[in-house]
Amino acid sequence: MHSDVSTPHTTVVHPQGGGLVRTSVRGASVERAQGRIGLIFVSLYTLFLVAFGIMPSLYAIFLAFTKRGAFVGFDNFVKVFKDYRFLPAVEHVGLYLLVWLVSLVVLVVLLAVIVHAVGVRWLSTSMRFIYYIPGALAGASSVMVWLFVLDPTVSPVSFLLHAFGLGSFVETVQADHLPITLAVIAFWTGAGGWILVMYGALNNISRDVIEAARVDGAGPIRTAWFIQIPLLRKWISYMVILSFAGGTQLFVEPRVLSQASRGVVSQDYSLNQLAFLYAFKQSDFNGSAAISLVLLVVSLALSVYFVFRGGLFERV
Amino acid sequence: MSASDTPLHGTDSSPGAWLGRATAMLVLLTFAAFFIVPLIWLLIAPSKTDRQLLLDPPFALGSLNTLLDNWNSLVAFQGGLLWTWIGNSAFYCVAALAITLITSIPAGYAMALTEFRGRRALLAVTLIVMLVPSTALVLPVFLELSAVKLIGNPLAAILPFSFFPFGVYLTYIYFSTAISRDLLDAARIDGASELQVFARIAMPLATPVIALVGFFNFTGNWNNYFLPYVMLPGRKAPIQVGLAELLSNVPQFNPTNAASTTISLSALALATIIAIAPVMLVFLFAQRFLVTGMTAGGTKE
Amino acid sequence: MNTLRISLALSALLVASPAISADGQITIWADATRQPAIEAFEAAHPEVKVNLVVDDGSSGGSGTFQTKIALADQAGEGWPDVVFSTQQNDAAWASKETNGVQAFAMPLNKGFLDQAFLDGYIPGALDPVTIDGTVYGLRNDLAPVLFWYNKALLDQFGYDAPKTWEDYQALGDKLAKDHPGYFLGSIGDSFEGPYIYYWSGQAPVFQVKGDAFTSNTTDPNAKKVIDLIDHMLKNGTLTQDSVFGASFVAKADHLVAIPGPAWYAGALFQNPGGVNAKPGQWAAAPPLTWSNGDKVTGNVGGGVWYASSHTANPDAVKTFLQFIVSDEKTAGTGGLPAYKAAADKWLDAQAKSGFYAGDFKGAISTAAASVWSGWGFPNFSPETAWAKVITPGLAAGKTMADLSADWQKEMQNEAQVVGYTVN
Repeated sequence: MHSDVSTPHTTVVHPQGGGLVRTSVRGASVERAQGRIGLIFVSLYTLFLVAFGIMPSLYAIFLAFTKRGAFVGFDNFVKVFKDYRFLPAVEHVGLYLLVWLVSLVVLVVLLAVIVHAVGVRWLSTSMRFIYYIPGALAGASSVMVWLFVLDPTVSPVSFLLHAFGLGSFVETVQADHLPITLAVIAFWTGAGGWILVMYGALNNISRDVIEAARVDGAGPIRTAWFIQIPLLRKWISYMVILSFAGGTQLFVEPRVLSQASRGVVSQDYSLNQLAFLYAFKQSDFNGSAAISLVLLVVSLALSVYFVFRGGLFERV
Repeated sequence: MSASDTPLHGTDSSPGAWLGRATAMLVLLTFAAFFIVPLIWLLIAPSKTDRQLLLDPPFALGSLNTLLDNWNSLVAFQGGLLWTWIGNSAFYCVAALAITLITSIPAGYAMALTEFRGRRALLAVTLIVMLVPSTALVLPVFLELSAVKLIGNPLAAILPFSFFPFGVYLTYIYFSTAISRDLLDAARIDGASELQVFARIAMPLATPVIALVGFFNFTGNWNNYFLPYVMLPGRKAPIQVGLAELLSNVPQFNPTNAASTTISLSALALATIIAIAPVMLVFLFAQRFLVTGMTAGGTKE
Repeated sequence: MNTLRISLALSALLVASPAISADGQITIWADATRQPAIEAFEAAHPEVKVNLVVDDGSSGGSGTFQTKIALADQAGEGWPDVVFSTQQNDAAWASKETNGVQAFAMPLNKGFLDQAFLDGYIPGALDPVTIDGTVYGLRNDLAPVLFWYNKALLDQFGYDAPKTWEDYQALGDKLAKDHPGYFLGSIGDSFEGPYIYYWSGQAPVFQVKGDAFTSNTTDPNAKKVIDLIDHMLKNGTLTQDSVFGASFVAKADHLVAIPGPAWYAGALFQNPGGVNAKPGQWAAAPPLTWSNGDKVTGNVGGGVWYASSHTANPDAVKTFLQFIVSDEKTAGTGGLPAYKAAADKWLDAQAKSGFYAGDFKGAISTAAASVWSGWGFPNFSPETAWAKVITPGLAAGKTMADLSADWQKEMQNEAQVVGYTVN
């Protein structure tokens, strides 16, 4: 059956040793057909992107630099920076990010590699399931769980809390420990999903490559470090970028704790919470947009680094 | 053959290897305990009365009677509103899932394996939009949907739910690492049209990523609180918003409400379990497709 | 643009938004607890069509009311006709024009409702919603602070029930000496300190005048409250455990007395998950006051109904509001009604059960009518500052004397960010 695409002048050579070397001259119509199908395939998504991504983001940028429609330059940013809650919030988010990002990347990759290497099928499946389930408890539904788990008098892990010298709920959610507590909660709900992604990525690594490494005498650790992890470069970059952005936008976990502790964890703990308060408590959508823009710029800066370091835009 | 069928580092039985395996198992099980202990607590909680929750040991079992009482009080709340909430969630998430898959998978494929003008720009814009804090997007999206008079209509949740740049990117990375362009070119040389290349070559190999994207989309939307909170109040609310409403009827969280419809903490625990059960089920279903391992490309013979 | 037109056309077929309608229907936003009362209204007034949207009533600091109205203001549509909020300080923002949009709350005493109707309220009930003489909402229920005591225990120990804060402290001393382990209250919840002790103690730590917020923790009354709390914390007769927490419930049989709001009756004493009292064991008494001070008390809660200034159906709204706050069967929606006639009936019904010893009706009526009007209702709560500063500080071993200045500063900061001037 002939397609409507002509492919003249193509020569294909198969040298020994695997791999296809293409020495073809592509027909212009192949390129055009590809281009056409590419555009068709992204069209519906682009529609959504414009409606729910681009236009709202542009509006947010507009809000950040205006007040009641009039351009005011950086006034909104100055007002936000001078807010007595701003610097503490930055500090909170910074500390949280440090604990969260490092532990997430290290532990997710570690656990994914181990789960992948496990030989027993049911064990691997059930581990993935167990690691993932807490992800279902992200958000509003988990208030009650944390109210109990973090209270040494009723917690199922009270021995652990007592070991850290914590005697009451108020002590556990104390401001000093909060970055760690929040990172633990975020890890608990978020790690499972990324472990799944990494597991899937590991599955895609050709077994021949692993076999070759084994034949060469590499043990599991060397295989992981020198073969698997480098091949996961793109996925790990993706995870770092999104987790960094997610971390700067810390919102759900402190909000949940704020509700569970009835205010001991304050409602303005993180920058994103501050943006929320600006918008809905102070009726200041401009200040809120300014804070969001600051968060975006910071995430963007790091992402640019990782996009190029991790080769996210490259293709195989 | 799935990657987990045979161990990668098989039957090497030297003491070093054994120690390594034992350590790995220890790590695995420790984390399993870390993840599951609070959930075991949660599962037991609805069988205890509030008094037992506070005073009994955390893992002490309660009674079946209490469980039934809690169930009854939940189901009776506002005349079975719990099921309406679950039904709403299911409707919004399934509808959004369908639209997401239709829009995201082809888009990811196109960005990974075809060439067209604006490809890199689209990738960049997708990534940037993913980084914008959602707090900033609430008002503009609300204004947009209000302008087309969709507030209070299920589409007000379904449409934003279907915008899933995370899934597009996931698909993009997957297709660009797992499928070689050479494989597709071979098909093109054989005379396949672009559509056939996509449908016959790429799609069968894409089962894991479709399952992954679908699963993340479903769960993310199921757990989404703030968007439906502003778009769909009242009887159209999904289960997360409903849980928050239940919460406001628990004296512990709302002490000043001299409520006649009081929900006890253990009933709230039961509601939480009901709220997360569908996600569990979807995960168990999607698991099978996630595991379908496959070798990279098809050209490394 | 074409897409927009297409979706507009499509959506015309799918419209179902909870907006104002001009055809005799009113949209009400209220929480689940108010639903029985609203259904009673629908039965009594079938000519008014009600579209009830159930939400969380803005409880627990969720700010639902303010959030949704902010969005509706921006969109220029989508306001309900009537809103219920469990908070008392919404009039602070709802009475003001915001971002160029008219104030949401409709003034109710400038001709909309008869003054005769408004006079039927227990004196002081409308203070939180009265700004510069204009009434912006109708109080649904009251939660005045009174004094609860364990009659059985007091009789057993041979003590009299205290009538003043000084007596209360003295009782604490006696208990600490003769019966250690028995206690007289808690400040572990953030609503206790500000409302039960400072407000009842007539301490001017939370006051609003126009756009100015003042807080003075060095005022003589404030100092008396600080000393009282520190003294009783020190000798163990005040606990830092939340009244809903495991530790409190475990020792609830050692609770000899506790000043607290009227809803402690259901939430604490008659609750098996709380104090779990037996009939006749506990009694209600008029609120504690300073021995040489005014006979005032505090208040912890009580929701409010607001009418929308955008409503297209003011007559229906008027009928609804008048019914919902004064109908003798359903007013108060489970709590102490704020409307006098309904309150009397409610108290009679409650006293009939005979669960509480003492003059239940008299104690609560006295408390309801003596809420101190000098407390402010700005657009933020003293509880957030208390929970942020005092609760962790006390847990770390500091005293109220150490922490009060910080608490004042935090409240002043919060006032400034929501637009008050602080002097």
